[in-house]
Formats: sequence, C-alpha cells, structure tokens
Amino acid sequence: MNKPNFSRPISRRNFLKLAGGAALTAAGAGLLPQYLRKVLLPVGVAEAALGDPPNLYFAGTDGWMYLPPNPPISFFHPDNYAPAPFTTYIFGFRNITGMNSAQIANQKMKAQHNAPLFWVDQYDPNANGGAGNEFRLQLTNLGLQMRPDLTDSHTVHWHGFRNVIPFFDGEPTGSVSVPVGRNFTYIYRPRDPGTYMYHCHVEDVEHVHMGMTGLVFVRPLQNGNTALYPSGKFAYNDNDGSTGYDREFAMFLSEVWAESHWCDAHIQLPEWSDYHADFSLLNGRVYPDTLAPNGSIDPFNPVRDANGDLIATPGYEHLQYQPLSALVTCQEGERVLLRFANLGFREASMTLAGIQMRVVGRDATLMRGRDGTDTSYETDTILIGAGESFDTIFTAPPYQGPGPYDTYVLYNRRYSQVDNLADADGFAGQRTEIHVYPSGALQAQQYPNDWGGA
Amino acid sequence: MRAKRLKWMRLEAAFLLVMMLVLAGSISRPQQAAAQVSQRTGIVCTTGASPNPTFTLETKTGYIQLPDGNTMFMWGYSLAGQSFQHPGPTLCVNEGDTVTVILQNNFAEPVSIMFPGQENVLANGSPVGPEFDGNAVVTSLTNTAAANGGSITYSFVATHPGSFIYESGTNPQKQVHMGLFGALIVRPALGASFAYNRADSEFTPSEEFMVFLSEIDPYQHQAVESGRSFNMNNYHPRYWLINGRGFPDSIADNFATWLPSQPYGALSLIHPYDPATHPLPGLVRYFNVGSEEYPFHPHGNNGLIIARDGQPLEGAGGEDLSFEKFAVNIGPGQTWDALFKWYDAEAYDQTANPVPVVIPDVANLTFGMFYSGSPYLGKQGPLPPGFSSLNQCGEYYIIAHNHALYQITSWGMTMSGPITYLRIDPPEPNNCP
Repeated sequence: MNKPNFSRPISRRNFLKLAGGAALTAAGAGLLPQYLRKVLLPVGVAEAALGDPPNLYFAGTDGWMYLPPNPPISFFHPDNYAPAPFTTYIFGFRNITGMNSAQIANQKMKAQHNAPLFWVDQYDPNANGGAGNEFRLQLTNLGLQMRPDLTDSHTVHWHGFRNVIPFFDGEPTGSVSVPVGRNFTYIYRPRDPGTYMYHCHVEDVEHVHMGMTGLVFVRPLQNGNTALYPSGKFAYNDNDGSTGYDREFAMFLSEVWAESHWCDAHIQLPEWSDYHADFSLLNGRVYPDTLAPNGSIDPFNPVRDANGDLIATPGYEHLQYQPLSALVTCQEGERVLLRFANLGFREASMTLAGIQMRVVGRDATLMRGRDGTDTSYETDTILIGAGESFDTIFTAPPYQGPGPYDTYVLYNRRYSQVDNLADADGFAGQRTEIHVYPSGALQAQQYPNDWGGA
Repeated sequence: MRAKRLKWMRLEAAFLLVMMLVLAGSISRPQQAAAQVSQRTGIVCTTGASPNPTFTLETKTGYIQLPDGNTMFMWGYSLAGQSFQHPGPTLCVNEGDTVTVILQNNFAEPVSIMFPGQENVLANGSPVGPEFDGNAVVTSLTNTAAANGGSITYSFVATHPGSFIYESGTNPQKQVHMGLFGALIVRPALGASFAYNRADSEFTPSEEFMVFLSEIDPYQHQAVESGRSFNMNNYHPRYWLINGRGFPDSIADNFATWLPSQPYGALSLIHPYDPATHPLPGLVRYFNVGSEEYPFHPHGNNGLIIARDGQPLEGAGGEDLSFEKFAVNIGPGQTWDALFKWYDAEAYDQTANPVPVVIPDVANLTFGMFYSGSPYLGKQGPLPPGFSSLNQCGEYYIIAHNHALYQITSWGMTMSGPITYLRIDPPEPNNCP
C-alpha cells in the first residue's frame, strides 16, 4: 500500500503527479468546464496547498446503476430517465486518485455503487523512522448533474472510528463539509483493526440511502507474522493466530427503496417513514449479478479508460458502475475471512448453508472480554443490524467434485426483505455463492475480493 | 396531504424557535417533584427513602411537542399530584430495597404496571399474575387498577442491580404505544458510582446518561384521543423519539421550559478522558420501548457493552464477556448498558500539534451550526460572513443517532427524531456557560 512519509518534503512535481485532483483548483477555474466554473467563484487558493498528497482521492457525485428491471415497480422502477442499460438514479463516490483535471471533471454523473472498497494499515508510531504512518483521504464534490438545484455538500464519515475529533469525523453539523467544487482532506491514524464502513453524512437519510456508502477496513500490526499463521494475514492482533486467513472478501449490505431513488431524480421528496427495501444488495449488486466478475476494484491500482471512466467487463455492461463482485472463491482447507458491514436500514440474517463460520470480530473489535476471555463463536447465521459489522472466518471444506468447484450458498434468510421481485425462487437480492476449488487450482489473492484467477 | 391535518406550525418556524431557545441558554424550571433531582444533563432520578422507597404514580393524559411542529396526545404515568410527563419518571432505587409502587388509575379502562426483570413482584400483597375473563382468556398480563379511580399497590425487592423498563401490561399494544412506560434503575450494593457489583463497572456519576427510545403512530394516538378504535394491522410509526423528545428538542436541558411535559434531555455533556484527572468512563443506559430493533450509533467512540436486560455480561466464574459496539442494536423491551469515554487520540493542539492539513479558507467549506470555526477543542476560529454558530466555548459536538436512518425523521421532516450529541467541553478552567 502506498504510504507517504508524513515528514518528507514533497516536491511540486510529485504533488501534481500524485494529487492531480489538487491541480484542479491549483490551476484555477479557467481549466474547468462551464458548469463548475460558476460555482467555484469566488475561491480561495488555500486548498491548492493541502500538504502531502492523499493516499486516495474520492469525488462525490451522482450517476446511474442497474437493478433488474422486471417486473417493474409501478411508476418508480425502472426510472424512465435512466439511460440504457441502467435503471436507478444514485448518489455515490468515485475513486479519482491520480486523475488529471479533465478526467476528474468527466466523472460527474459517473458515481459507483457501492462506494470504492479500501483499506488502511493500523497506525504504527514506529513507521517512517518514528514519524508514524497516516492515511490521507481527499474528497472533492463534483455536484449532482441531474439535480443542479441541489447544491448539497458532501463528507466522508468513517463509521466506527474511535476518538476522532469532529473536524475529521465528517458529521456536518458539528464540523465542516465540502461544497461543490471544493476539497478537503481527512487524516486517519487508525489504532483499531477490523471492519468498518464509511458514508457521506450530509443529509444522511438521503445521501446514505442514495448510495454514498462503502466498506473500509484496518489491517493489524500483527500482519506479516508467519509464525502465528503461514499466510501472515490476520483480521486482528490476536497474538495466537486465531484470526489468520488465506483469502478475504468484503460483503457490504445496502438497500434500495425504488420510490426514494426515483424521487431524487424527479425533484420529489419521499416520505421516509414509508421506507421499505425493494432491493437488498450485496456489494452493490443483486443476485445473480453478485456472481459476475470484478471490475477494477483495487483502489491503489485503478484501471480506467482514457476519460477516467470505469471499464465494464465485456458482457456485463450493465454493471459498469457496480464493479465489486460478491463471489467467494477459495481452495479446500483454506481459511476465508468474510468482512460483513450493513448500511441498509434493516437487519439482515446472513446464512451460510453447509459451512460453519466463526465470528471473530464485531464492530471492529476482536471477540475477547477485557480479561482476554474468548467470546468468539461458531454459527451459520449472523444477524447484522444497520451500521453493524461482523468478521467471520470459515475453513473451506474438502473439495468433492466432480465439477471444477463445489458450490455453497450465502444468503439473507430474511426472505421478506430479499426478494427483488425479479427472481421467482424468492432467494434473490442478498445472495451469493462460495466456490471451493481443489488445492492448487487458484492463485494467491492479489487484493480483497480477488478471485485468484478463477 | 393527510399529514398536514395534524400540523399546527410551519416546520421552519418551529425549528428556528427551538434553536433560538437553545441558544438562549438553559433555563431550568423549578423542581417538579420533591424527589426529582434536576441537573441540566444526565439522568434525572426520582428517588424514595431507601430501604423502603414508595412511589405513587397516577395515569394522566397530556400532549408532547414533536420536531415538525405537530403536537401529540399521549398517556403517561406521572408522579402523584404532578402534571403529565413523558416518559414516566425514572425511578432510581438501591439493590436490596423493598420498592413499593402505588398506581392510581384515572382512566376509563383498567391499567397496570409490569416490572420485567424483577422477581417475586406482589400486587396488594399477593404474587402478581395475569388476569382472565370468564372464558379463561388473558385480559391483562398483570394485575390491574380498576377503571375510573381504582388503585393497586405493587411491591418487590430489587435484588438485581441494573437498567430496567416498567410499562403497562394491560392492552399493551395500545397502552404502551400511548406512553405508559418509564425506566427503573437499581444501583448496586457496591455503590452508586458502579453499574453492577463489579469493580470494572465504575463510572463518572456526572456522566451517566439515558437513551430511552420509542416510536409513535399518530393515527393510533388520534384514534385514542377521539375515542375511536384502532386497527393494529394498520400500525405504522411516523415518529421516533429519544427520552420522549425528537431532535433538536432532544439536546435541550432537562426540564427545558418550552417542553413542559417532556422533562428529559438527551445531551451527553462530558469532559475528555484523561488517565490522571478523568480516568473513569461515562455510562449510557439504553432502553427500547418500541416495537422493532433500534440500531443506535454513537460517533467517535465504541460503547463497551457491560450488561443486557439488567444482567452483567460475565461468565459463571466472573469472566468478562463484555464487548465493544459502535452500533448498539437494541431490541424491543431490551436494555443495554454501555461504558464509554472520548479523548482526542491525536492530542491535536493549535500550536504544539496542529492538524496535518492546510485548513481550507472559510469560503471553501460548509460550516455546521455547532462548529466553532476551529478544529481544536476549546478554540474558536473564523466563521463565514453572516454565519451564526451555536458553539459557545470551542466545545466539540459528536453526534449519536439511530442508524435505521428512515427513523431519524418526523413524518416528513428529515434529520430529526432520535438524534442527540455528545458535547465535550474543554478541560477546566474554561469559558463554557
């Protein structure tokens, strides 16, 4: 992972190379397209010198995503404004790290759902020669193309981050938020490994539900200790290898109430107490799209087209802005970490049929009492509420064949909330599969949710 | 819109009025009852004479104010001789007390009080039990006070320390929803600064708070007010409340004068954790008297859940089974107790350790109404022209709210309902009012 040395002086050249986005404002409004130029004035130049380059640079904007159009939901779904093959209006984030200013401007109206998955190393005071490591997340706001009347600001709220000052918490009432065309940099020195989530906290009833939500996790300092577990990869600083794993997969839960998304596109207001989930999503998709390949999901090595846009996998053009697969691939005997986080508004009952999972963490906390008592437990079902996270590890059972892999199913047992209407068996929505391969069939995982060449 | 039928004021006007009053500072009203101790924030305990405290509660109807300007008809338990309050008084007793609760019923139907979590409860000296009609069908989950002036005396020995609910056991889908509920706190023999009889449950008494969560379907309340029946199949909450208030009323002081029947504020006023000067955590007692789970999310700190439903999380041998949570997902009828603390992990300081970013010019940020203009605790900074901050002394505001986000609305008014703030004042001496 790319970690800048906090104390290292930064050359202007490096600054521009790594933080192309800052150049947007550094170069002044002249480079901007007409629609941004207007709202950028008057602008101070302070944010042109934000210090060290960010590890990641995100933009908040709007866009379109795909949900199964059939059967339609009267009036609201699919949205008649949606350009083919899309169906549903969203707000969201995009990873614009390293883009030039023209590419950044191009990403307006190209939000992705869910927001980019990313991860951060635990703070290490001894890193960088005693300067410590930190994570810099820069945010800009490209505005909402469908709703120029809505000049909403955006923030990044790292949900669950402990002992943070309001300035870096992203809750707009107690601190600041980022207006259209402006920039802000959040500094994180996470002390607590585990699985978290992040979202925009401006008008969060709306901005969260519209899709400005994603999963973030913190890797423990124990990583690299191959004596405790051969892979040297752990969920927590467990001191005994009990959270060691070979492959890891984010499982991010969100929901779509079609009426509210339609309302935002059509300049209407929904009545939120009428809320219900028409679609329940896993990694921003509904089954069977959850099994479709990943797009470019490694935030630190993004692949884009010349305009900076996401590249659709051939045959999956409808998932261009939903790049994160939920398919789990593993080899028999491997330990697999599932990182669950729920930013829907309802509890989900995620069930893994045929394999026991061990719950090793909840809400970014190792399952241990203050006196070290082991409180982890085995289960096939986790009941995960709004804003909760779970870390579970399972050991892949022996490969049985005869196909190339054995299939196990991971699904939301709360059937009344997961039928996306499009799937006759009532199992749709938050459902995916675990594919267990024989030993030697897969490569090592390059990044979370990577299929390992499957 | 049918919603407008019940709305008396424009939302904006109501919100502005509330915020002006908040700005105006705290005006504590005189103590309501001799037994209620009134401080600006924190739990308002109604106490009796230990070891034999007696509380006389009577049923009353009244109105509460909601964030959208609506006014809602409610039922409630009130201290005898006092005006209607919502929720019922928070009864605080000591472990081992023999607690007596006399219920006087002014309503035209039988009512009762259940004490979930208490054992060997007596009604008029005999063990409590359900009431039945002539066909052996349960008419009440516990013994009732008769309609129109009936009275009943409940008593029990408070054998377990912890956080408990008391609520009606009679026609509860109506009476509990109408507001017949309150909190019961049993303090352990170990001392009032402990949550349980465990040394690791000690907390800072001035930082003990209540998160008491409920919900309202206005059509049910309208039906009861006008004497009509209500079909529970149509039950659909439109309001969600914390301590009987919605945000921004929720952060007004205890006994705020403009909320005459909603005495309990939810603002959590604390000072930063400091190993030398402020080593003990605060305590939050969570209660859910609604009908679905409420995933409550405090920003900026994890609650250490040390008990549920009045039972400390410990093994048979005293092992610690507590766990940290950033989403306290509390079910209907449950209580959870959480220790918490907050400190700036980075120890940011304007001169010695500034935030490692260039702070954008005020023209390039949107300011929140509680923001001081400075990232630093105890400091205030430049504000945009024409912007009025409600910040008083450079204090921090960190939100805590229900994360089933459709529930932080009030029948069309978003960003209201069960929201409150952790207010962190700078270390003393400070300029805070």
